[in-house]
Amino acid sequence: MMEQNPLKYKELAAKAVQDKQLHKALGKMRDKVGRNAVKLYKELPTGAGSREAAKEVRRKIVDNLDVVLETLIESIRARGGHVHLAETDADAVEYCLAVAKRFEVRRVVKGKSMLSEEIRLNDALEAAGIETVETDLGEYIVQLKGEAPSHIIAPAIHYTREQVGELFAEKLGVPYTSDPPTLTAMARKALREKMLTADMGISGGNTACAETGHVTIVSNEGNIRMTSTMPRVHIVLLGIEKVAATLEDHDILLRMLTRAAAGQKISTYVSYVGGPRLDAEPDGPEEFHLVLVDNGRSRILADPDFREVLHCVRCGGCLNVCPVYMSIGGHSYGSPYCGPIGAVFTPLTRGINTCHHLCQGETLCGACKEVCPVDNDLPRMLSLLRSKLADGDRRWNVKPHSRIEKLIFGAWSVVMSHRGLYDALTALARAGQRLLPRRNGWIRHLPGPLGGWTRGRDFPPLAAKSFAQRWARRSTARRGE
Amino acid sequence: MSQIIERVRQALGVQAGDGRARQVFAKSREFLECAVAQPSAQERAGWMESIRREALALKLHLHESPDLEACGEAVAALARARDPEWGTLKQIMRWSDPILDELGLEHRLAGDIAVRTVPMADSFSPSERQEFRREVIASYIGVTTADYLLADTASLALLGGPGRTRTVSLVPSIHIAVVPDSRIIASYRQLLSLLSARSLPSHMTVVTGPSKTADIEATLVHGAHGPREMHLFIVAS
Repeated sequence: MMEQNPLKYKELAAKAVQDKQLHKALGKMRDKVGRNAVKLYKELPTGAGSREAAKEVRRKIVDNLDVVLETLIESIRARGGHVHLAETDADAVEYCLAVAKRFEVRRVVKGKSMLSEEIRLNDALEAAGIETVETDLGEYIVQLKGEAPSHIIAPAIHYTREQVGELFAEKLGVPYTSDPPTLTAMARKALREKMLTADMGISGGNTACAETGHVTIVSNEGNIRMTSTMPRVHIVLLGIEKVAATLEDHDILLRMLTRAAAGQKISTYVSYVGGPRLDAEPDGPEEFHLVLVDNGRSRILADPDFREVLHCVRCGGCLNVCPVYMSIGGHSYGSPYCGPIGAVFTPLTRGINTCHHLCQGETLCGACKEVCPVDNDLPRMLSLLRSKLADGDRRWNVKPHSRIEKLIFGAWSVVMSHRGLYDALTALARAGQRLLPRRNGWIRHLPGPLGGWTRGRDFPPLAAKSFAQRWARRSTARRGE
Repeated sequence: MSQIIERVRQALGVQAGDGRARQVFAKSREFLECAVAQPSAQERAGWMESIRREALALKLHLHESPDLEACGEAVAALARARDPEWGTLKQIMRWSDPILDELGLEHRLAGDIAVRTVPMADSFSPSERQEFRREVIASYIGVTTADYLLADTASLALLGGPGRTRTVSLVPSIHIAVVPDSRIIASYRQLLSLLSARSLPSHMTVVTGPSKTADIEATLVHGAHGPREMHLFIVAS
């Protein structure tokens, strides 16, 4: 699979902002899903307060995560399921490989799971000689192409139908077509064969119900039901925070999730999976495993400033309204989690310095907060990450991102708080700017380190007289009348 | 394993067994009471309207039958009119359920289309499981009933258990569900409330229409990996 590197953000984003076709594709998600979500929330019995109600439920769960997890583990074990708590990505991968080895697995079919991208499970399975097939149509397309998903919910949204047609013709040996129903039927046929012959199914989960002992998985395609039903063993990967306490919690959480993710009242399938088949059932998996993955989440939990990001239900709703995501697409983020949620979650799990571009690239416009089904205050957390980058932070092991930048802003702060100094420096700048090249009255190139700003746009020159000067003059003139 | 739970406790600054469980698992009175809500005749009429409207939008074919006799005839006619998607064999697999017994599909279709029933036994040998798997895969139609039919989204709640296997509503190309109108309830919320009051099987599925995808250019296409065609027969009681 394509290597993902959050340090390539600028390079990839620079390419993506020129990609008109990408913008057209993402525009469809914005128009069909992004703009409708808030309207759909209001249909719920909780009305305009639905986001706050869902947030309260998520807050209750995350603030009592130990109790919820213990109950969930107990309930699933009582039904004959296996539960493993994985501290790291490597631990989760190792567990999956051990189960695969015990079942002598040759082929794995996968339901969509961002967590499996996070722990890079496919690479490990393939390295162990196990054929690994993504079964969600969008995931299948990006897997055939050797790429990573570019959207949490619609992984192949960056492709046109013509590109999918060419890909299928090349990889599946089918006649070229650009008709989505025909292309879907081709994938249905190819993947049915895989799903009916795989030894192991691995899927993500949308939430889990602790009191009843079920993992809850929504899908429209039916691939996740296939993955959880047909192979001999089914493994579910779930972040430790993605659980729920009761069926009552499920009511609002699932309804908000499907509205935010896909503009639907309910998904085609809501599956509750809680253990292996019974002796008296002729189908279903022999073994059921739930792998609960920490991989940095408990560290976020310990910081009250960032705990809120664990309320996220991974609907992808914030992507569909984000002006930055809409311009640069998912791949620029260099992480499975992209868009505004990725810009907060990825730095917290992979290192704030390493992922500095992600939180610095967002605009803080607030659209993500307004659409979020659990009212996550991502702009607040983005600002906080930036302040840690500016000042450094021992708890999160952050080095000050740029000493020069800090120095410049320190100096700027001094200038701004001393009137005389400010006026003197602006007078100097006003004189100096005459030397700079212009176009239509705008400055084309700024000198020195400021040049980066004018690489893609022009800069407005300082006015001949400042507002303060004009105001003072006007007042004097009035008094003179 | 408990290390992670311990780390979570440290992160939250809480102690084990400090009595939070009661509050975490508490349910609202309104939620508990909605399980036993008795609908008025007017509400029931509204439910049928809602199911019709939702079914249309979902591409879920809705049939209203006066009784099981008429329903059986209609299901048989439908089976005759459809061709298999994979292969040429016309075979139906159905849940083992008294309502489906009464449809009399076996004798209605005798000689034309084989109608098989999910086997019932205390346990199954590996070869019996293989055999059942082959039969389900070979079936072009799966017939089930449903434990509940949700009026607000036209969704079926299928609870697992002996005779009510998960593959029948999943693997065949056409899913037919036969549901008495007495099993209609108001909403997903009421379903969750009803389920909260009973012990649950290890799997259950809420199904809303045929399978679909919008992964190519956000264009909606029916028939992804689950059934590409779905019929709901509501039988008057």
